[in-house]
Amino acid sequence: MVNENLVKAVVKEPYKYGFVTDIETEKIAKGLNEDIIRLISQKKEEPKFLLDFRLKAFKKWQKMKEPDWAGLGYKKIDYQDIIYYSAPKQKEKISSLDEVDPKLLETFDKLGIPLTEQKKLTNVAVDAVFDSVSIATTFREELAEHGVIFCSISEAVKNHADLIEKYLGTVVPASDNYFAALNSAVFSDGSFVYIPKGVTCPMDLSSYFRINSGDSGQFERTLIIAEESSSVSYLEGCTAPMFDTNTLHAAVVELIALDDASIKYSTVQNWYAGDEEGIGGIFNFVTKRGKCLGKRSKISWSQVETGSAITWKYPSCLLLGEESVGEFYSVALTNNLQQADTGTKMIHIGPKTKSTIVSKGISAGNSINSYRGLVKMGTKATGSRNYSQCDSMLIGDQASANTFPYIKSQQPNSEIEHEASTCRISEDQLFYLQSRGIEFEEAVSMMVSGFCRDVFNQLPMEFAAEADKLLALKLEGSVG
Amino acid sequence: MEIIEKIKTNKSIDNLTEIQKICLDKLQSSPLPNPRSEQWRLSNKSKFTNFLNYSVNEKDPKFDTPFPQTSQSTIRLIIGDNCQINLIEENYSIKQLSEDKLVKYIKEQISCFDQNENWSDLLNLSLNCTKNTLGLKINGSEIPPIEIFSHASSNSLNAKTLIIFLEKNCDIDLLQVNLGKENSSLSQSTFFCLEENSSLNHGVVSYGENKSNLLNSLNVIQQNNSEYNLGSLHFKFNYARFEIRIKQSEGNAKTNIKGMQITKKDEQISTFTKIEFNGPNGFLDQINKSLADDKSHAIFEGSIIVPKIAQKTDASQLSRNLLLSNLAQIDTKPQLEIIADDVKCKHGATISQLNEEELFYMRTRGITLTEASKLQLSSYFQEIISFIPVPKDRWDLLDKLLNEN
Repeated sequence: MVNENLVKAVVKEPYKYGFVTDIETEKIAKGLNEDIIRLISQKKEEPKFLLDFRLKAFKKWQKMKEPDWAGLGYKKIDYQDIIYYSAPKQKEKISSLDEVDPKLLETFDKLGIPLTEQKKLTNVAVDAVFDSVSIATTFREELAEHGVIFCSISEAVKNHADLIEKYLGTVVPASDNYFAALNSAVFSDGSFVYIPKGVTCPMDLSSYFRINSGDSGQFERTLIIAEESSSVSYLEGCTAPMFDTNTLHAAVVELIALDDASIKYSTVQNWYAGDEEGIGGIFNFVTKRGKCLGKRSKISWSQVETGSAITWKYPSCLLLGEESVGEFYSVALTNNLQQADTGTKMIHIGPKTKSTIVSKGISAGNSINSYRGLVKMGTKATGSRNYSQCDSMLIGDQASANTFPYIKSQQPNSEIEHEASTCRISEDQLFYLQSRGIEFEEAVSMMVSGFCRDVFNQLPMEFAAEADKLLALKLEGSVG
Repeated sequence: MEIIEKIKTNKSIDNLTEIQKICLDKLQSSPLPNPRSEQWRLSNKSKFTNFLNYSVNEKDPKFDTPFPQTSQSTIRLIIGDNCQINLIEENYSIKQLSEDKLVKYIKEQISCFDQNENWSDLLNLSLNCTKNTLGLKINGSEIPPIEIFSHASSNSLNAKTLIIFLEKNCDIDLLQVNLGKENSSLSQSTFFCLEENSSLNHGVVSYGENKSNLLNSLNVIQQNNSEYNLGSLHFKFNYARFEIRIKQSEGNAKTNIKGMQITKKDEQISTFTKIEFNGPNGFLDQINKSLADDKSHAIFEGSIIVPKIAQKTDASQLSRNLLLSNLAQIDTKPQLEIIADDVKCKHGATISQLNEEELFYMRTRGITLTEASKLQLSSYFQEIISFIPVPKDRWDLLDKLLNEN
């Protein structure tokens, strides 16, 4: 048996992103009503169509009920006790990064996010979102040369209102679900990407979300449009400080891929997960959806979910275009009292569409980790195919791993395959590795890494290394 | 829905038994299952309403079986047909359960019922009178195969209940046949208790006629070292629901399930299974097949629950589905809920049509498309049918199915 004392002796690495940046912020009053929404819209100097969009969403949200079908146990969220807009105070308009508050730059430096132009070698353009607003976007000029628009969504509303009006809410309508409606009403910032026809984005784009205040929620909205024959790889990272209170994060991500376009969206989610007693942590309710509108278009989601007290997230693909492709690669790790209910939806509408789902869940401590997915073949999806694989690994006898795949087919000329398995860290393998002089923790880490290999292979280089380290870190002290 | 009105008012039913009263009380607050719950969400509302639209018939419908006559080597019982049995042979005994024991057992079961999940049983027990309940206690070895029939008569709803205790070290083959007449509804609830070291090879063949409906619920409790093998086949029902709930009360038991449902025209047949492991070293091997043609709808929902206590559980569940028409649909949802870490659990699901490569291969060897399809279907059916404990010489289910498909 695994030596429990040895396990207990393993040093528990604290959540290293849990620091708070002491910076003067501008916050509006707590609570949610029409006036607050008008105030947010006014602060962001938005056009009327957006205010109408928000107010309509708010009306719908008021009539909706918080979903409980996932069976997640968390204390009731008081939506009137949240600050819906919080922004670091800074000069009205920033013309270069030199004008960004050094404290903010320092924060992102600490997080390892290259915001300063000197770090060009990394060749990743970053949009950094701090609480409710985007504070900086790098490499904009270089991207503009290729016609790529990469900016905060607030700027896009001002400078590219036509695109926003045309596409916002077309993939995730305001009435889609409770949290999407809430986001549509109060979203404060997020990233906007537009890749013109025939352009392969010259560098990876990235947004980094940081929640700094303990009492404000983060409601960002991301919109990515890939025109015909274009392609882009987008990376998203998230961290938050440690607070005893729970903070709400309700984001919406919309992707649109036209003919022959390809979007790869990768996430490493490492919000603060709460302590060992389950106190504090982020409630992460996210709606992510991509629409493969064009023929031969492709949307690929890859995610590593290690943080948040509660995760409720189902990145989906609507496969409308003929021969379009949807992919979902996910590693979800839960420890202590974390609860993750995550999975994907692959809706095959067009003919000859294909989708692949690879999901790896690792549950340790007293956590609950569920895969919940839907694969649907519509009546017109002739010659379509789906393959799903969901594997769970249990570490310790207190953790729970669930698999809930929904499969629906209305098209005989299509094929769906689903397989799922559950296992644990094999003692034989552990013994083998240890007998060859590999430390216990390292052996566990190697095995977990091997278990997740299929997904890590799909992550961009920068993330793959980080994800590996993150998993090892998260699992320390949990094997027993 | 006359029945639901009766349940609500609880007046029109005379001479209620104790069990009926308990169930009616439970149902009165919410007489219908929650249509938004996972178990009932996909159920066709108009077909379900149709099921409940017939009035309850407690009289014995004339039993006119389309199936082979009984032979000397089998024991045939027909629920509701004044069936009394008290067989005491050298190696075995089959006795009628005393009413006290029967009532006590059902009360125990009801106390664990979930209003929504066990709605079919609650309805069955609230409608059923003593006459349509068969309770048996079986003991011994070398028991001849038993055939038990339930049937519904036209234009009425019949409720039948079967309760069987398999005593220690008992080994038996049991075939249960549910027959639906034209325009009829049959509610069948079955309770099995398998004591230590007992083994039951159970076959369920449910065969309907035009516009017949079926609610078939099966509850099995398995004690230590017991083995339960189920082979089931449901076809030709306008609306049918087969609910299987198996609990390995102390683990250390073996369960094998092979089930099939065939839907045509605008039929809807669904299978729901819930397998709970309440102890270590449990074993499950389950395969469920569906075949949906025309405008029909086949549903499978299976859940495997492995709590912390059920270490070393080995469970697998496979849902294989054939979709043969553009207008038919198949929903399948295999589920795993696991807390124990030292387990081997897996599930799989596939939906496709007949394998084109295999068809092509056979056609290149001079076999016609129809024949080739039949051959493929035959192998698809055979895996399940061979698992149903029926004497092949009298019951040729495979031929019957192939002729109908």
